[in-house]
Amino acid sequence: MEPRQFPFLQTKMISPIKVWRRQKEIRKLLGQRGKVLTWTQIYVAGPNFKQYAPYPVVLVKLDDGQKVFGQLVDYENKDLKINAKVVSVLRKVRETDHDDVIAYGIKFKPL
Amino acid sequence: MVSVVGYYTTQFGELWSKSLFSLINEAIKGALTNANLDKKQIDAIFFGNMMAGVLEDNLHSPAKIAEMLGINIPIFRVESACASGGVAFHLAKNYLEAQSAKTVLVAGAEKMNDYSPEETTAALVTAASGEEQEAGLTFPGLYAMMAQVYLNSYKYSEKELAYVSYKNHYHGSLNEKAHFRKKITVEEVLKSAYVAYPLKVLDCSPISDGASAVILTSDSNLIKKAKAKVDVLASEVATDTISLKGRQKLDAILSTKIAADKAFTKAKITREDISIAEVHDCFSIAELLAMEDLGFWPKGQAGKRIKELSTMYGSGGRLIVNTSGGLKASGHPVGATGVKQIGEIFLQLTNQANSRQVKKAKYGLTHNIGGSGGTAAVSIFTN
Repeated sequence: MEPRQFPFLQTKMISPIKVWRRQKEIRKLLGQRGKVLTWTQIYVAGPNFKQYAPYPVVLVKLDDGQKVFGQLVDYENKDLKINAKVVSVLRKVRETDHDDVIAYGIKFKPL
Repeated sequence: MVSVVGYYTTQFGELWSKSLFSLINEAIKGALTNANLDKKQIDAIFFGNMMAGVLEDNLHSPAKIAEMLGINIPIFRVESACASGGVAFHLAKNYLEAQSAKTVLVAGAEKMNDYSPEETTAALVTAASGEEQEAGLTFPGLYAMMAQVYLNSYKYSEKELAYVSYKNHYHGSLNEKAHFRKKITVEEVLKSAYVAYPLKVLDCSPISDGASAVILTSDSNLIKKAKAKVDVLASEVATDTISLKGRQKLDAILSTKIAADKAFTKAKITREDISIAEVHDCFSIAELLAMEDLGFWPKGQAGKRIKELSTMYGSGGRLIVNTSGGLKASGHPVGATGVKQIGEIFLQLTNQANSRQVKKAKYGLTHNIGGSGGTAAVSIFTN
């Protein structure tokens, strides 16, 4: 693995304390249904996400009214549309170093 | 009255032989020469820059500027993402109106090409919310999400977006300081590769290096002596949620509307009075939304109006937009952009815009956005 050229951003984003704090909120958002307000497909990504590109990101309005951003997984191209129905799932959100905390977060899959 | 009495910009582009501070130095000294002033006549400097801290481990730039120029005046760094330059100008104008100083310099600069595109993309996205970053969004991605809603709501396609890039590249071909001097066709835009669907490479402003500076004064003697000057009628800043999901609408930028309404009220002129504008076209969709949010075109009409090309130089239209080439073709060194926009209006209103000179322009407007619309700065000028 090549040396990290971007220590500031990397360490900031994978602080285990931040992961721990965020994960307390994430459980409240699991298994919720909603519909896609807008979406895009990312072709050019930053270093943390580059290996997954291209990947779709959706903005979802959950049935309880909350709005949440997340990547769309287990999808087919026909699922990429405004108003598509989706459900939130728990997924690893990006690649980290071997000794880092694994960062889990919300993604969505089509219903 | 506060007036702009000098302007200089470096070349925008991939400037491999220049560092951030060599660009800042060139811009500041160029503006002083242009205004025929000595550095001793400057009471304060406002400096717009976004990423030196994240990319170059380089903060406390005011002291570095003081060291470079051999001065001891107040120097302030202003950070509002891509609106850093426009917000720096706003603060400088207020500083003069508060009578804290008589003559100040506003500089903006960014050095973006010393790092890989991925690293620069990641540094730019620090201006988005944590949730947006964790979802793997990028700035092209956020504007792509706005574009999807706009195109879907008003039944437009990627073709309407392409006209923005076509026009602004033509303007860039007329600006010797622009990053891109090459004209492009609508077809070339449509054939370019996707960055974030539906936005393509040629819908996006480039990663540029550059620095720009203007001199602003309330000193009536200096204004009288100035070989070129424009008066600042208004400079307003408004803010909104950092996250796109918190906005009232996904295909309108409320901060632009608030800042523009306040600026027009202060300037006591109407939209019809403006004959040149530099608007924030970081992505093609952003110029369409800006034209609507600034109140130049009715909501939902921009996709239709851009195809008429009435805002293109030489069209004979009543309002010409982004004669510098905009962010798209002139380039987008983030901290410099807002200052360059003001400089372009200065050139136009003082008949110094050479081959892109709009005739008989009386009023000009600049519009500078930070992030996906969390900050907007709108200023209005007259000659």
